[in-house]
Amino acid sequence: MLSFIGRRLIASLVVLLAATYVMYVLTAYSGDPLEDLRTSTARNKEQLIEHRIQVLNLNIPPYFRYFIWLKGILAGLIGQLDLGKNLIGQPVDALLASAVGHTLQLVTSATLIAILLGVIVGVATALRQYSGFDYTVTFISFLFYSLPVFWVAVLLKQYLAIGFNDFLVSPQVSPLAIIVCTLLAAFIWSGILGGTWRRRGIVAAISGGATALVLLLINLTHWFENPSIGLIFGAILGVGTALIVTSLSTGLDNKRARNSSLAVVLLGLILWLPFDAISKFLLAPAVFGIAAGFVAIGVAIGWFNGGVDRGPVARTSGITALIMAGIIGVDRFMQAWQPYFNSSYVSGRPFATVGSSTPNLQGSFWVMGVDTFTHLLLPTLALLLIGFAGYTRYSRASMLEIMDQDFIRTARAKGLSERTVVMRHAFRNAMIPLTTLVAFDFAGVIGGAVITERVFAFSGMGKLFLDSLLHVDLNPVMGFFLITGTVAILFNLIADIVYGLLDPRIRVE
Amino acid sequence: MNIKKSLAAVALTALLAAGLSACSAGGSEIVAGSAVNVGWNQDFYSANGQTSNGNATANNNILYMANSSFNYYDDKQTLIKNEQFGKYELVSQDPLTVKYTINEGVKWSDGAAVDASDMLLSWAANSCLFNNVSPEYDAEGNISNQAALDAGVFFDSVSCGTDLASVTKTPEISDNGRSLTLIYDEPKVDWELDFAVGVAAHVTTMNAFKADGLTAEDAKAKFIKAVQDKDLATLAPIAKFWSSGYDVQNYGDVDPSVFVSDGAYVISDLVKGDHVTLTANKDYNWGPKPQIETVTVRTIEDPLASVTALANGEVDAISPQATADIMTALKAEEAKGITTLATSDATYEHIDLTLNNKGPFDPATYGGDAEKAKSVRLAFLKTIPRQDIITKLIQPINPDAKLNDSQTALPGSPNYDSIAAANGSADYAAVDIDGAKQLLADAGVTGKVTVKFLFGCGNTRRQNEFALIQASAAEAGFDVLNKCDDNWGSLLGSGTYDATVFGWQSTSTAVTGSKATFITDGGNNFTGYSNADVDAAYASLSKEFDAAKQLELLTTVEQKVWADGYGVTVFQFPGVTAFNSKKIEGITPAPLAPMFFWNFWNWKQLGGQVNG
Repeated sequence: MLSFIGRRLIASLVVLLAATYVMYVLTAYSGDPLEDLRTSTARNKEQLIEHRIQVLNLNIPPYFRYFIWLKGILAGLIGQLDLGKNLIGQPVDALLASAVGHTLQLVTSATLIAILLGVIVGVATALRQYSGFDYTVTFISFLFYSLPVFWVAVLLKQYLAIGFNDFLVSPQVSPLAIIVCTLLAAFIWSGILGGTWRRRGIVAAISGGATALVLLLINLTHWFENPSIGLIFGAILGVGTALIVTSLSTGLDNKRARNSSLAVVLLGLILWLPFDAISKFLLAPAVFGIAAGFVAIGVAIGWFNGGVDRGPVARTSGITALIMAGIIGVDRFMQAWQPYFNSSYVSGRPFATVGSSTPNLQGSFWVMGVDTFTHLLLPTLALLLIGFAGYTRYSRASMLEIMDQDFIRTARAKGLSERTVVMRHAFRNAMIPLTTLVAFDFAGVIGGAVITERVFAFSGMGKLFLDSLLHVDLNPVMGFFLITGTVAILFNLIADIVYGLLDPRIRVE
Repeated sequence: MNIKKSLAAVALTALLAAGLSACSAGGSEIVAGSAVNVGWNQDFYSANGQTSNGNATANNNILYMANSSFNYYDDKQTLIKNEQFGKYELVSQDPLTVKYTINEGVKWSDGAAVDASDMLLSWAANSCLFNNVSPEYDAEGNISNQAALDAGVFFDSVSCGTDLASVTKTPEISDNGRSLTLIYDEPKVDWELDFAVGVAAHVTTMNAFKADGLTAEDAKAKFIKAVQDKDLATLAPIAKFWSSGYDVQNYGDVDPSVFVSDGAYVISDLVKGDHVTLTANKDYNWGPKPQIETVTVRTIEDPLASVTALANGEVDAISPQATADIMTALKAEEAKGITTLATSDATYEHIDLTLNNKGPFDPATYGGDAEKAKSVRLAFLKTIPRQDIITKLIQPINPDAKLNDSQTALPGSPNYDSIAAANGSADYAAVDIDGAKQLLADAGVTGKVTVKFLFGCGNTRRQNEFALIQASAAEAGFDVLNKCDDNWGSLLGSGTYDATVFGWQSTSTAVTGSKATFITDGGNNFTGYSNADVDAAYASLSKEFDAAKQLELLTTVEQKVWADGYGVTVFQFPGVTAFNSKKIEGITPAPLAPMFFWNFWNWKQLGGQVNG
C-alpha cells in the first residue's frame, strides 16, 4: 500500500513538473504583455516600457524564465515558498487564498446538492425503470447536460432574477401557474411512487391537491411578502420528516426509532419559540453550535431509547434532529426576509445577478444569510443543473446493474423487505463507483467554474485564472495551475485508495 | 395501497410544498443608509494613482471623486480650473515659472491642512529627481536588490521622464506654507497638465516612520526639511511607502490612513473583487458639491453581466466595452428606463504607411525617387474606404459616429474643428479610385503594387477593416496581403510590413502629445517618417505658450503630414454609457479619463423603488 502511494506520488510529481513547464511557456507566448503600452501616447512611454520589461524580466526568454519561478517554488521545501506577485504588485499567495475562499463558497454547495439530488433522482429512476418518470428524467438530464453554462446563466438572470424580482412587486401566483404546478406535482409524485393505476391516481390526487392548496394559501396569506413556516406547519413538516426518515432508515415497524424521532420533533417544537426570542443576537458560531447541540441531543435520545439496536435508532433520530434544526433555521431566515427586502440597499429587488453579497449591507446573521442566499442562488443553480445530470446517469446505471445481481435475488428470496433490499443491499453497493466521480468532482471544485464565475462577477479561482491569462500575468496563472494540479493529483490518489477500501474485490498493490 | 406508503407519500408532498401562516418579528436589523451603485470593469487597487503600479483608470476614477485637483477635463475636453481648491499662475515664461497656491481651509479628511508640503511631495516623487537606485527584479516581480533599495531613494512614479523632471531646483514654499513655485529649466508648453497634489505628505511620512509616532505637523516639517536638505536617508523610507504603501486589496488589510483624502468623498469600504464605497466628506466645501451620500463602485468585468445587473437594479450606471451585442442588450431594456448613450472614446484608429522598409512606400524602392514613393502612398490612401468602415463597422454601435479627420486633436476637443478643416484630410473623405490610378500612372508605376498589411489577427473589427481596404485598393491595382499577427504590437517599427492599422490612446489634450509620433526618430515614430518642416514646427511648438500660435503650428504639422501621405485617421473607438433613468440623473459621458465620473457632483438619486 505504502509503496503504491509512494510510486504514485513520485510519478505525479514528475507529471506536475513537466506540466508546469509547458503551462509556463505556453502562457508566456500567449500574448504581448506590453501591448497596452505600445499604443499609448504617454510622453514618457519609453521609460514605462523599460520599467515593465525590468519588472517582468521580459528580456529573459520564457523557457529560461521558468526556472526563476521554479526556484521560488522549490524554496517552499525550506519553508520560504515564493509564488511571486502579479502585474500590479499584489502577492500571489494572498490572491489565491481569497480566490479559493470565494470559489469554495460558490462551488461546494452546488456540488453537494448536485450529488445529493443526482443520487436520489438516479436511484428513483432506476427503481422505476422504463416508466414515464424515468423517461422524463432521462430527457431532462440530457437536456441540462448539453446546455452551455453561459446561456443557462443568462436565462436564469433574465427569468429568475429580473423576472422574479418583478413578480415580487405584487406577488400573487396566477391561476394558470397554480394549475400548471398542480398538474406537475401530480405527475411527478405519481410517477415516482408508481404502482397500480389506482394507487397512482390516489397519489396524484393527494399531491396535486396539496400543491394547489399550498399555492392558494400562499396567495391568501401574502406569503411571498412575509414568508415563514410557522409552528403549525412546522409541526406537520417535522412529523412528516420523522416518518420518512424512519421508514428509509429502519422501517416504520421499528417503534423505538419512530418514537425517538417523533420525540426529537416534539422537542424541536418546544424549543422553537425560545430560540426565536434569542436568535437576533446570535452570531454564526453560536447558531451552528446550537444546531450541533440539538443534533447531539437527538442522537442521545435515540441512543438511550434504542434498546438493542441503539445504533440505527440513534442514527434515525439524529438525522431527524438535523432536518428539524434545518426547518427551524429556515423559518428564522424567512423572518429576516421582510426587513432585508425593504432595506434601502435591496429596495425590493432581492435576487442578484452579480457578486457574492450586497455592498455595504450590515445586519444580523440571519439577514446576511438571506443576502448570501439571494446572491448564491443563481450561480449555484447554473452549476447544479449541469452537474446534477451526470450524477443521475451514473447512479441510475450503477443501481440498475446492482439490482440485476444474484445477491439481490438471494436477499429477496430470504424474505427481506423491499426497503432492506434496496437501502441496505443495493444502494450501498451502487455507491461504490460513484466515489471515483465524487473525488474527481471535488478536485474540479477548487479549479472553480471559470465561465460561471465570470458571468456572475464572482471573484474566485476561475476569474483569477482568466484575468491573469488575458493580461499574460504569469505568476497568478502558475499559482492557479500549481494548486489545481496538485489537488487533482491528490484526489485521484484518494479515489484509488478509497475504492480499494470500499470494494473488497479490488486490492491496491 | 398500504397505509405506511401513503403516509410517506403525504409527508413527502408536504415537504415539497412550502409553508404558510404569518408570524414575523420584523424589527430593525438593517443599518439604514442610501446609495448609488455604479459598475466598473476592474477593482480599485491603489490609493496612489501616480505610481507606475497604481496608474490605472480603475484607481483614478475613484481617486478623482476622493481627491481635489487644480483642474479637470469636462465632457468637451476643456480643462476647467477649480479655484475653490487652489490657484495657479504662470509667473514667467522664461524661465517657465508657475506658482501653485492652495486655498486656506482646504483639509485632508483627517483634519490636517492641504498645503505646500503635499505639493512638494508630488514634485519630489513625480520628478524622480531624488531617485538614486532603481530596483532589479527576479521573475516573480520581487525586488532582488532590496538592501540597496532600502538604503537609496526610489519613487516608483509613472511620470518619470515627463516635464516635471526639468524642475531641477527645489521649489520654494511661500504664503504661509500654502504656495509652491516651480521653476522649469526648459520651456514646457503643456505645464498645465503636469502637476496634481496626489497623496498626503504627512500620511506618507507618518507611515514611513511609524515607530516614531509623529503628529501631522511634525511629519510635514520632517518631510519638508528632508527635501530641502536633500536628506536621502530620510527620503528613502518615504519613497518606499509612497511607491507601494498605498496599494490595497481590502479595507481592513491596511492602516486606514492610506485612505485619507482631500476631496468630495472618502473611501469607506473596499472588498477585493467586489466593490469600493465612497462616503461624502462632510467638511468638503472647496469644489463642486456632490448630492449623493454614498457612491458604491462595483466590479463587474463581463460586459453582458453589467447590462443584466443594470436591468436588475443592482447598479445604476455602467460603461461596458461597446459591441453590437451589448448595444442590442441595452436597447432591449429601454422599457425599464435604461438610457443608453453611444459615445466616442479617446482611442482612435489610424492607418500608417512604412517609409523605410524598402517596400512600395519607401523612396529607396524607386532608386531614391521621393516623389514617386509619395505618389504611391497618396494613391493607396485614396483607396482606403474610410466612410465605408465607419458605416459598416462603427455606426451599428454608435449611429452618430463620424470620420476622425485629425492626427493631433480628438474630435470634439477645442482645436479639432479648425485643424480638420485646414489639414487637407478632405481629400480622403471619399474613395477616389480614378484619382489613385491617375497618380500611379503619372508616377510611372505599372503592374500590381504589393502591400503587406499588419494587424492583430484576434481582432474581428480589424479583420473586417482589412477586408474592406483590400477590396477597395485592389480596384486601383494594389495587392494588399494579409500579414496579421497576434504579436503585432512588438512588430511595430520592425519594417516587416508596409501598412498597418491600430489605435492610439489619447490621455490628455497636451499639444506636444503627438510629437513623438511625427518627429524624426521619435519614440512613437514607427514609420520612418521625417520632414524637416514638421521637426521645426514641433521645435517651435515646444516653446510656444500662446494657444492661437500653438494651433497654427499644429495645423502646419498636419498639413505636411497629410500632404506627405503619412497615413490616415479613421474613427474613434465607440463607447457606451448606460444608466437607469428612474434611479439616477446627471450622468454625462466624457471621452477622457475619468470618463463619466467627471461630473459626479451632478449625479442625483431618484426614487428608491424601480421597475414596476
